Amino acid sequence: MTVLRSRVVLPTKTTLKSSKTRISGIEPVTPTQTHEPSSILLPLPTTTNPSSSSPNKPTNSCPGNSGLGSDAVPVSGAIRRRSLRLASRVDSAEVANESLIFDRRREGEEGNYSVLGTYLVEEDKAGIDISKDIGAPSMSVELSGKMSLDSIGDTVRVLEVKDGKVLFVEDSDAEGGGNGPGLRQEVVQVNQVDVKSLDEDRSNFTGGGSRSKFKNAKGKRKMGIDVRLGTEYAGDEGSKRFLNLRSGKLISKIGTDTVVDKNEDLRKDDEYSRNNISAKRIRGIEIEGKGKGKLGKDDLLSNGEAVRLDVEFGIDNLMGDVVGVDSFQSISVRKMEEEDKREFGCSGELGVVTENLEQGPSGAENSTLKRRRFSREEKGKGALADTGGSLSTVSHAVELDLISKINGSGDYANSPANHLSINVALQDERQFRSTSTREGVSRRNEYMERFRDIARENASRFAHFSREEEAENDNHLSPDAEVDREIEDWPGPFSTAMKIIKDRTMKSSKKVCSSSGKSVPKPITWVPKKGQSNIPAKLLVPSLQELCIMILAKHVDAIASLESVPDALRNKLSQLLCDSRRMNNHFFELLVRGSPTEICLRDCSWLTEEQFVKSFQGCDTSNLAVLQLDQCGRCMPDYVLLDTIAQSSYRFPGLTNLSLTGACRLSDLGLGALVSSSPVLRSINLSQCSLLTYASINILSDSLGSLLRELYLDDCQSIDAMLSLPALKKLEHLEIFSVAGLETVCDQFIREYIIACGHNIKELVLRDCVKLTDSSLKVIAEQCSKLCALNLMNLCKLTDSSIGYLANGCRAIHTLTLRRNAFSDEAIAAFLETSGEFLSDLSLNNVKKVGRNTAISLSRHARRLHSLDLSWCRSLSDDAVGLIVDSCSSLMVLKLFGCTQITDVFLNGHSNSRIQILGLKMTSLLKCVKVPHPQEGPLHYSSLSCSI
Amino acid sequence: MTKEDTVKLISAEGFEFVIDKEAAMVSQTIHNMLTSPGSFAETEHGEVTFPEISTTILEKICQYFYWHLQFASGKETEFTIEPELTLELMMAANYLHT
Repeated sequence: MTVLRSRVVLPTKTTLKSSKTRISGIEPVTPTQTHEPSSILLPLPTTTNPSSSSPNKPTNSCPGNSGLGSDAVPVSGAIRRRSLRLASRVDSAEVANESLIFDRRREGEEGNYSVLGTYLVEEDKAGIDISKDIGAPSMSVELSGKMSLDSIGDTVRVLEVKDGKVLFVEDSDAEGGGNGPGLRQEVVQVNQVDVKSLDEDRSNFTGGGSRSKFKNAKGKRKMGIDVRLGTEYAGDEGSKRFLNLRSGKLISKIGTDTVVDKNEDLRKDDEYSRNNISAKRIRGIEIEGKGKGKLGKDDLLSNGEAVRLDVEFGIDNLMGDVVGVDSFQSISVRKMEEEDKREFGCSGELGVVTENLEQGPSGAENSTLKRRRFSREEKGKGALADTGGSLSTVSHAVELDLISKINGSGDYANSPANHLSINVALQDERQFRSTSTREGVSRRNEYMERFRDIARENASRFAHFSREEEAENDNHLSPDAEVDREIEDWPGPFSTAMKIIKDRTMKSSKKVCSSSGKSVPKPITWVPKKGQSNIPAKLLVPSLQELCIMILAKHVDAIASLESVPDALRNKLSQLLCDSRRMNNHFFELLVRGSPTEICLRDCSWLTEEQFVKSFQGCDTSNLAVLQLDQCGRCMPDYVLLDTIAQSSYRFPGLTNLSLTGACRLSDLGLGALVSSSPVLRSINLSQCSLLTYASINILSDSLGSLLRELYLDDCQSIDAMLSLPALKKLEHLEIFSVAGLETVCDQFIREYIIACGHNIKELVLRDCVKLTDSSLKVIAEQCSKLCALNLMNLCKLTDSSIGYLANGCRAIHTLTLRRNAFSDEAIAAFLETSGEFLSDLSLNNVKKVGRNTAISLSRHARRLHSLDLSWCRSLSDDAVGLIVDSCSSLMVLKLFGCTQITDVFLNGHSNSRIQILGLKMTSLLKCVKVPHPQEGPLHYSSLSCSI
Repeated sequence: MTKEDTVKLISAEGFEFVIDKEAAMVSQTIHNMLTSPGSFAETEHGEVTFPEISTTILEKICQYFYWHLQFASGKETEFTIEPELTLELMMAANYLHT
C-alpha cells in the first residue's frame, strides 16, 4: 500500500464480530431497525493504533466463500466503525459463491460512537439472502426489491437485488436518527466502477491484498486508487489478477457553505470471463460532503458524504467480481438510477464487496482540514461463483483492500480545483445518466460498450488533468446528451452503418476472445507482398526542371532577370528560396520588376520596411493579380502601406488574391486603404493579423460585399466573432471561410452564420475553435449541402454524433481533416462506409481511437482517397495499414508520423509502388507543407472569370 | 538502329540531334507529339523542331534524356548544369515537361 501525503496512518486493529442475520429471498421492505440510538453500546474491542503501519490489516476477515455471518466485527470505543457486509451469493453449484461484503469501519473523532454493521447479502439461486450483522444496536434492513439498511444515521439501501443481476446498494446518509455527536455525513457516490482485471486471461485472483493509492495534491486532488484484488478461484491454478481502481478526484471543501466533495471516479474494469466477457463497471465515486462542522463539536450534519457505488455487472457468463468502495464514513452502494431498472442478464454474478472504512481518529482531521487524514480500508472478500454452466464450480474470492489516506493541508474550499472536479463529477454523472437512459434496457452488449467508452473518456481526462478542459466540458453537456439521443432515434445511413460495425465487432470479438476477458478484435488479415521486398521501388528521377530550379536557387544573386519566366516557375523558385531562407532583396526586386502578374512570397520576415518601400514603390501593379506577402509583420506597418499603396485610389485594379498573413502591425485603417484600392478582390487571407478587429470585417463587407469568395481569419485574436457576425452575413458568396483559432467562435455564431450563408460554403476551417459542440456540426450538416472540405482539428467536444451528422448531411465532402478528436473507431468507420467513396483527402491525425474498423472501412470504400494522414494512430498495426495501402488504389500520400509501431513488414510488403510515405523514415518535411498547386487557379472552388 | 527507333530533334539554329526514341520519350511533350493519334508530321517522320530552343540548350536537354534513363536504371550520378545555362534550360524544361 502506498500512501501519499499521509501523515499518520491510523489503523485500528479490531476484530469484527458479526452476527449474521439472513434474510432470504426478496422480501418486502422491512425497515426494522432504523435508528441506532446509542452507538456507544457497541463493544469497544481492541486497541486502535492510530499510527499503526498496517492500515490494511484485514480487520474483517471475511471468509471468502460464504462470507455469511462468520465475520466478527468488534468496534473499538474510540472508533466508530461501521462494517457493512453484503454478501450475496448465487449458487448454482455448491462451490459457487458470490458474496458481496461491505465492511465499513468508521472512526470518528469522538470515540463514543461506534457502529458496527455487517450486512450480508446472500443470493441464492432462488432468491436473495441478506444477512446483516449489526454490531450496532439499531440498523434497519430493508430487503425486497429494495433493501435499505439503516444504520447509525446512515441509510443503506440495497436496491434491486435481482438474482444477482443488479446489485444496488445505496447508502444515503440522510442522517439516521442516531447520529452521534460530531457525526458527519458523507455521501460518496460511486457512479460507476469499472472493475477491470488486468490479466484477463487468468481467472484467478490470488492474494488477498488489495492496494489503493490515493494521491492528493493540494490544488488538485486526484485520487488514484489502485486496487489490487485478489481472488481465489477454486478450480484454477493460481493466477493473479489485478484490479485497477482508478479514482478521479477527491475534493473537499469546507466552509459553512462549503462542500466537501470527493469525487472519486473509480474505474474498475474487470473483464473476466472464461467463456465470454464479463465486464463490470463501477465508475466514479463521488463523495460530497456538505455543510461544515467543526469536528470537535457535535454537528450532526457537519459533513455529509454520500457514497454512491454503482456496480453494474453486465456479463454474459460473468464471473463475479468485487468492487470495494469506501467512503469516509458512510458508504452506499447504489445503482445510479433507481428509476431505470437495469437488468443485466447475467446469470450468475456475484459481487463481493467489502468495505472497511477506517477513518482517521482525530477530529482534527476533518474539522480543521489541516492535516487531515483519511485512512480507509476496504476489504472485500468474496467468493464468486458463476452459475453459468461451465464455471459453476468456481468460486471466486476477492479481497479488496483499499486504503486511502488523504492528507490535506490548508483549506481546500477555495481552491478552484474543487469546483472543477465537482463539475467533472457532475458531468460524469450526467453523462452516465444520459447514456443510460438512452440505452434503456435494450442490449446489454451495447450497454457495456458504452460504459466502457465513457470510462475510457474519463480515464484520459484524468490522466491529463486540465482545468480548462474540464470547465469547458461541463458547459455544453446537456446539448450533447440531447444530440446523442437524437442521433440514436433517427436511423440514418450513418447509424445503420454504425450498428453494423458494432455488431461486427461484437461478433468477431466473441469468436476470438476465449480466455481473455477483453474483446480482442479479430486480427486483420493482410499478407505482405513477398519477393519484391528487397528491390527498391522505381527510382524517382529528378526532373530537369527541378534540377534547374535548385541550381538557380544556389546562384540566385547571379540572376539578372526573370523576365519571360512563367509565374509558375517564379513561384516555385520563390518558394524554394523562402524555405531555405535565401530570399533576399535582389530576388525580390527581380520579382517586382516590370509588370508582374503574381508576386508570391511565403516568407517576408527578412524584408525591412525600407527595402519594401524602395522596391515596391516602382512596381507596376496594374497587372498584378496575386499578391502574397506572408509573414509580413516586419515590413508592413500602416504607414508603409499607406505610402506604397495609397498613392492612387486604384493601385491594384486587377488584384484578386491578397494574402498578408502575419501582418501583426496592420490595423483596420491600413486594411481599409488596401481594400479600397483593390476593387476586385476575391480572396483575402488575413491570418494572424492580430490588430484587426471586427471593423475590418465591416470594411470588407462594405467594399467587397458579394465579391469575396475566400476569407481567412485564422488566429486573428482581436476579432470578436459575434461582433463581426452582421458583416460576415453580408459576404454572402463566401466559399471558403476559415476561422481557425478564433476563441470567440461559439455554437451560436456558427449557427447564425451558417443559417445565413451556409448554402454557399464549400470549405470550413474550424480548427481550434474549442467551444464548438455537436450542435454546430448539426447546423453545418443541415445547411451546408455543398460543403467539400471541413477542418475539425482539435475540437475536443465533438462526439460521434458530429460524424453522424456529417455523414448524413454533407455528402459532398472530399476533404476531411481531423486531429485529436474524440471520435470513436466505429464512428469513423461508419462515416467511411457512407461517405468514403467521395473522400480524396482524409486526415485522422491523432484520433487515437482509430483502429481496425476504420482500417477495414477505408480499405473497402476509400477508392478515391489520394492523401491519408494516419499520424499518431498508434493502434493501427502493420496489417491494418498494409490493408489500407493495398486496397486504396488511388492513394498517393500516406503520412505516418509517430507511428513507430509500423515496421518494415509494412514498408517492404505493401504493393502500392507509387505511394509516398511520410514520417516514418527521415523524409524532407518541406515537401509535405501544403502549397497550392502551381497550375491551380487562384481560387480554389470557382474560376475567376465566372466569379467576376 | 533503325529509323523507327530514333527521333530527330531540331534546334532553333537548325542543328539536328538524332537520339533514341526511348530517350526522347522522357519528355512528356515529345512523348505526346510522337504518340498522339493522327498523322502529324512529327509522328510520321520522327522529327520535332523546336524553334525556341537554342542549340546549346537542346544539346543539354538531350544529355539529360540519357542521364534520366541511366538514373532510372539504377546508376545514380549527378547531372551537371552550367549555371549560365540554367535559366534558359529551366524554361525549356518547363516547355518540354521534363
